[in-house]
Amino acid sequence: MTDEMTTSVQLAARNLTRHFSVRTPGRLFNAKRVVRAVDDISLDLVTGEVVAVVGESGSGKSVLARMLARIVTPTSGDLVLQGTPIAIKSKRTLDYASQVQLVLQDPFASMNPVHRMSHNLLRPLLIHGASKSDAPAMAEAALRRVSLEPPSRFLESYPHELSGGQLQRVSIARALCIQPKVLLADEPISMLDVSVRLGVLNLLRGLCDNERLAILYITHDIASARYIADSMIVMYAGQVVEQSRGTSLVDEPTHPYTQLLIASVPDPSDPTRDTPPTGERAQATIAEKGCRFSPRCPHVMDRCREEEPPAFIVGEDHSSKCWLYADHETAVEVALPTRRKEGETATT
Amino acid sequence: MTTESLGVGHVVKSESPTIPPTNHTSSQVVASTIPDERAMGERILDVRDFSVDYGWGESAVRAVDGVDVHLDRSMVLGIAGESGSGKSTLVYAITRLLRAPGVITSGEARFNLGSNEDGEHVIDLVTASERELRSLRWSSISVVLQSALSALNPVVRVGAQFEQVLRAHRRDMSKVERRARAAELLGLVDLDEDRLDRYPHELSGGQRQRIMIALALALDPQLVIMDEPTTALDVVTQREIISELFELRSRFGFAMIFITHDLSLLTELADEIVVMYAGALVERATARELYEAPRHPYTLGLLDSFPPMHGERTELTGIPGSPPDLAHLPTGCSFHPRCPFAMARCAIETPPLIEIEGSGRSVACWLQVVDAGAAVPVELSRVSASNASPSERVTEVSS
Repeated sequence: MTDEMTTSVQLAARNLTRHFSVRTPGRLFNAKRVVRAVDDISLDLVTGEVVAVVGESGSGKSVLARMLARIVTPTSGDLVLQGTPIAIKSKRTLDYASQVQLVLQDPFASMNPVHRMSHNLLRPLLIHGASKSDAPAMAEAALRRVSLEPPSRFLESYPHELSGGQLQRVSIARALCIQPKVLLADEPISMLDVSVRLGVLNLLRGLCDNERLAILYITHDIASARYIADSMIVMYAGQVVEQSRGTSLVDEPTHPYTQLLIASVPDPSDPTRDTPPTGERAQATIAEKGCRFSPRCPHVMDRCREEEPPAFIVGEDHSSKCWLYADHETAVEVALPTRRKEGETATT
Repeated sequence: MTTESLGVGHVVKSESPTIPPTNHTSSQVVASTIPDERAMGERILDVRDFSVDYGWGESAVRAVDGVDVHLDRSMVLGIAGESGSGKSTLVYAITRLLRAPGVITSGEARFNLGSNEDGEHVIDLVTASERELRSLRWSSISVVLQSALSALNPVVRVGAQFEQVLRAHRRDMSKVERRARAAELLGLVDLDEDRLDRYPHELSGGQRQRIMIALALALDPQLVIMDEPTTALDVVTQREIISELFELRSRFGFAMIFITHDLSLLTELADEIVVMYAGALVERATARELYEAPRHPYTLGLLDSFPPMHGERTELTGIPGSPPDLAHLPTGCSFHPRCPFAMARCAIETPPLIEIEGSGRSVACWLQVVDAGAAVPVELSRVSASNASPSERVTEVSS
């Protein structure tokens, strides 16, 4: 592996797809139905950058994170870790896990409650080959990286003795102690108190800037995504509907779903604002054919119900999967608004 | 609003002229002087010096400490605070839904049932008997809980859950009428009648929360308490439910207590907001004033903890440290270890909740006490654009 690699794309996903088949009781012969949880998503996680994925519950964002962590096997698609294609159907290797780590939403559920933090932190270190004599020092160093001082105090405590914010820091430390290159953070702040959320966000941003980690930040809170992201992706019903480099997706949303999402965020700085139309009430049916957002879309056209739109380029490093922009150029297949170095495996 | 306006088959389309429209920037909530101490007038709920402990004796933990809150008819009171601040404990204690080891140790919670020819019918919820409470609950005060999945009975169809409520409280209704009423209630929250035959797990989170709201309104209550009703929902669903809720409120005129940790949501929908920290009220103001001109460092920190949706991205600091452990509260002001403006006095003496003269708003912070001699930091002395009072001066009222 060359030096060039370590400063560029750490983990690349191409056309990742995961379908779940479910049986619907009551239907004739329990007919099987396919839920397209994640459909044809490509993204690059780059050293020193935060990619934020925004979507509502059920949009497939957590399945995406689990596929990238290789806990869920994709139905199809490719993963390239530091230039090496991964056999996606095979079992996750220890080496993959040492490079790509996942931080989960609920720190209370993701820590073993009957063991001290030292156990929770030392286990991954020992599994990943640290010697018994070095491991405690490495665990302390990991706790210092997430600003938990003094580390010895935290190593001695049980999960119930720590606050949510502290526990989430420990789970980030646990993911970091084996020096991964990629951190997948699945809703890391949604269970935390408002006053400590910013601390965790700033910590993630700092790890990205100072330690050159590649971070995937998954959230339903578009404001927090705007706060730390280098590039943003909005998911709806398993698909990327809009993506942009920087925050242009929030500042100038083009896809009707993104517009709806942004209009729904409480914004006290604008008291005169009208309540946005929320589309078809709550039923949130996902179209089987055509654009998946069409049943809720205020701008729906006949074409939307028939044909699925491709991603159109609506601005610099900004694409939107909507027929409203049909007069724009379509984005090329790998339309990821992330920096890419020459000579790197882009597609497979 | 009376019961018949919500009766079976009488879907009220017109709005009562007595119900003021939702007005987020109104100053109607500014406390009116009550001539007779015991008469409540437009006030529906008056809670004074309310304290709640968990446990007894030495091991008791004070979860709510001497809180005063009040609410006028058809108004929305927002209670903001983090987990452990006592906001849920406060309302569960007021409605006497709190279970052991929670104990109400002091205070009164007077609920105004309305007046008739004999005068006002006021009940102190703290001393009310179980029988009185049973007649009040649901029909006068109803509660919508955060987790709709665990609040609905998972093995009973939705329709049967409406049926149970109506059968218990409206003895004169026939089975057909109850079914019609349940369908009408679902219509209020934009759900189809066929949802009545579903089980809770067959519905989405938003639909379940809508059913909770419909159930809460089943008996036309005067006061609806919402405990984080939208926290588990997506922003889009949250927006839909909030706008429906306010449509219903302008139609039926119930008062609302809205509890949430999301201060930015509260500033949009509440008339008045109280902010709680470690079991005590730290600030009370109208929603606009609280947002535009916070007076307590904690409120300021909370407001600065929400990344903005517009403008340049700047690094925000939020509030350092973590919320305190109620069993080991810091001395003096509970917030002082996390406060960027803390003074020596803050670690020794607890600041009382004082009223800022002429503005109807209160704050518990030594920085805002004139005789404390400290200069008020510029961040905490902004003037609200919507309600600027040039001669804002602070005097100590009571402790």
